Amino acid sequence: MLFNPDGDLLFSVSKDQQICVWYSHNGERLGTYKGHQGAIWTVDVDPTSTMIASGSADNTMRLWEIKTGRLLKTWDFPTAVKRVEFSPDGRQLLGVTEKRMGHLGTIVVLPIVLDVEAEQSDERDLTIVCDESKATVAGWSYLSKYIIAGHEDGSVSQYDAKVTDLQWSQDRTYFITSSKDKTARLLAARDLELLKTYPADTPLNSACITPKKDYVILGGGQAAMDVTTTAARQGKFEARFYHKIFEDEIGRVRGHFGPLNTVAADPIGKSYASGGEDGYVRVHHFDKGYFDFMYEVERERQNRL
Amino acid sequence: EDAERGASADLAVVEARRRMLDEWLAWRSSVEAEVEEERLGRGLPANPVEGLISQPDSEEEQQIIE
Repeated sequence: MLFNPDGDLLFSVSKDQQICVWYSHNGERLGTYKGHQGAIWTVDVDPTSTMIASGSADNTMRLWEIKTGRLLKTWDFPTAVKRVEFSPDGRQLLGVTEKRMGHLGTIVVLPIVLDVEAEQSDERDLTIVCDESKATVAGWSYLSKYIIAGHEDGSVSQYDAKVTDLQWSQDRTYFITSSKDKTARLLAARDLELLKTYPADTPLNSACITPKKDYVILGGGQAAMDVTTTAARQGKFEARFYHKIFEDEIGRVRGHFGPLNTVAADPIGKSYASGGEDGYVRVHHFDKGYFDFMYEVERERQNRL
Repeated sequence: EDAERGASADLAVVEARRRMLDEWLAWRSSVEAEVEEERLGRGLPANPVEGLISQPDSEEEQQIIE
């Protein structure tokens, strides 16, 4: 059961395959939402009381218009959906899927448009696979920053809901993550120790580690809907090079007309590639200056060896 | 005096970088040693795909495309 944010409506779900909405002050039933083909486990209402989402044993997650009871969207999964929750900003919806033979439990995050006439996406923002112990519940923290999940074995875990990419070092002992929070981070694989932080001025979609030279490459940019014509001029669509150890930004490469969705480092260390929202994949070959560039302390150490 | 202050600021930056480089290299060697020890302990080959694909015997057989 669940109250809407104003407290005037109460939603209830049960095994009878319909969602009921009641006036909380007098217990009168306002209506039902029909369509699920199995027991309904969970329901949540968005922060503006426009829509509700539900999860059911029929392996679907559904989105409904509160006022009319209209079904807006159905997402199909391989197993039952045990929990749903809107993010505090109403822009995302998470669903916890059940573990069953051949399928691990997952937490999926879907983008939501808070407009009953809008088309909702099938494309997930994030999928978390729970391979150790399945998640039984999950919810959003303040600022839609973390997803906190409770697991079958009693453990509680925290996921960063804004991480957009993860790429490994060559020996896989550490990795880099990029985040919508405008930073990239270098973490150790053995204990997740935070080794380095690379702050940028735009949400990041991708990050990679270059072999041969101690650099990292970050790519990002505002999402297409938020882009202003000045964004391109302000250089938000450049690949940014940072020194991996010293965390300084050391250079930028222009070229794309939209946000960078992905960057990849050539394993030989001679080039890198970037893929942009503008539809282009660009492969850049490094010049001599790139290989020669060294910090004073790096040169000092090299001379000592 | 300004120049002196500037120089000492630069020195502090260089000192900080030297420390970061030392810490990084120390961390790298500790991780590398740990991984090597674990690999040997488990009797695993240095190259994880060793034996999975046949490697060309001589250098001439290997074609490098530049």
